[in-house]
Amino acid sequence: MSNSLRPYLSAVRSTLTAALTLQNFSSQVVERHNKPEVEARGSKEVLLNSLTISRNESERVLIEPSINSIRMSIKIKQADEIENILCHKFTRFMMQRAESFIVLRRKPVAGYDISFLITNVHTETMLKHKIVDFIIQFMEEVDKEISEMKLTLNARARTVAESYLMAFDS
Amino acid sequence: MILLESHNFVIYNTLAEKVAKPSSLDVVFVDFDGVRFHMSTPEKKTVIQLSMNIRCWDELAQYGALDVLTREYGSLITAATEPEYNVTLQVDLEQLPAEADGREAMLKSISLMKRNVLGAPFELAFGEQKKLEDSGSSRGQLMQIHYRDEEAIYIQAASDRVTVIFSTVFREETDRVFGKLFLQASEFVDARRPGIQNAPPSIQNAPQVLYSNRDPPLEIRDLPGLRHSEDIGYVTFVLFPRHFAKSDASFNTISHIQLFRDYLHYHIKCCKAYMHSRMRHRVSEFQKVLNRAKMEAATTERKTVTGRTMISR
Repeated sequence: MSNSLRPYLSAVRSTLTAALTLQNFSSQVVERHNKPEVEARGSKEVLLNSLTISRNESERVLIEPSINSIRMSIKIKQADEIENILCHKFTRFMMQRAESFIVLRRKPVAGYDISFLITNVHTETMLKHKIVDFIIQFMEEVDKEISEMKLTLNARARTVAESYLMAFDS
Repeated sequence: MILLESHNFVIYNTLAEKVAKPSSLDVVFVDFDGVRFHMSTPEKKTVIQLSMNIRCWDELAQYGALDVLTREYGSLITAATEPEYNVTLQVDLEQLPAEADGREAMLKSISLMKRNVLGAPFELAFGEQKKLEDSGSSRGQLMQIHYRDEEAIYIQAASDRVTVIFSTVFREETDRVFGKLFLQASEFVDARRPGIQNAPPSIQNAPQVLYSNRDPPLEIRDLPGLRHSEDIGYVTFVLFPRHFAKSDASFNTISHIQLFRDYLHYHIKCCKAYMHSRMRHRVSEFQKVLNRAKMEAATTERKTVTGRTMISR
């Protein structure tokens, strides 16, 4: 793990743990409704201050807490066109499977690549620290995965080009 | 399988099978670039008729495709072409060479039909280069072969080289980026030629490759009907006399360069498939991590004293 990644992840981890203090909270607007307040935005008093943690200008995390849910959005590093495409493909691939990733949101928040929505139901049925572990591990591995994919892509391109050009000689 | 084969596997296999055991037959199949084949036995089981339809036949005929076909297949070509097809061969299985080697070579040559037709303009250009070299004039005619809907091959001979330009369209953004990466890798392979110790020696003989995205290269810039959009790419190969001076080198070069577009797109697809399987694996790993967060319900089987299983309803 590089030097600036460790404090970044530990900051995200502690902020997320602190923010995950959720309780059941019915809607104040519609009777017998119970919605994640961070999405419904029905009343101002149940929303808390949102918080951004930035590692650098291209990598940041936005955490928006509310009384019964938090929304967390991640911006993944994209240095060039290839990383951009790989990142887009990868996040899209995950978000299409959002129902099996219970805490994943189907669409990212504008300006971010992937978003999670954790409600009080999730924290009640799942272990809170393990959810945090999952998100931290996701953040760790997604960068690694994208750069590995890029490397294999480059290596493959080289091999393909070489074997094509080599065949001219035989 | 990194390289694609230039012969048609279906033709070769079917013929080999029918030589061993003639039977009636009627199949339609396709090859790269929308080439259609029809193989049938209209009269006798031992006489197989093979017709081919290729999109750019008129252009190819103009560049001497018929001469090449006559040279390769001679009397096999029938005067009456099947309707909707461009060329028809009639193979009499009883008149194939008796010895195994000769027959093998014959079948191989028939299965190379598409390659031979598409190779005609290349042969013409190679011949033209020799003439230009002797006469000292600078540039031959520019041949255009529109072998796909929006894509074409341009061939031009000059006194010291033959330039082959492929235009290729990338349907998707991902294809475009991957294609660019692949083509830049070929340029890169090309660029590191001099002075690098561990470059394999055979790469040094490969033709020079140039890639331009969007803007067509100088040679074809003035042609009408060229598209100037982000999704189109132009790949230029510069072939030198060493690539086509000897007949076997020239044969090899033609078979190989024709398949360039198919090769490129095939590997782009392979690459995407690989990425996909990789993502699938990674996502299932993430799924496992998330599953660890779920609280386990008590799953131990409860039994009564008599040994019956308790089930809660």
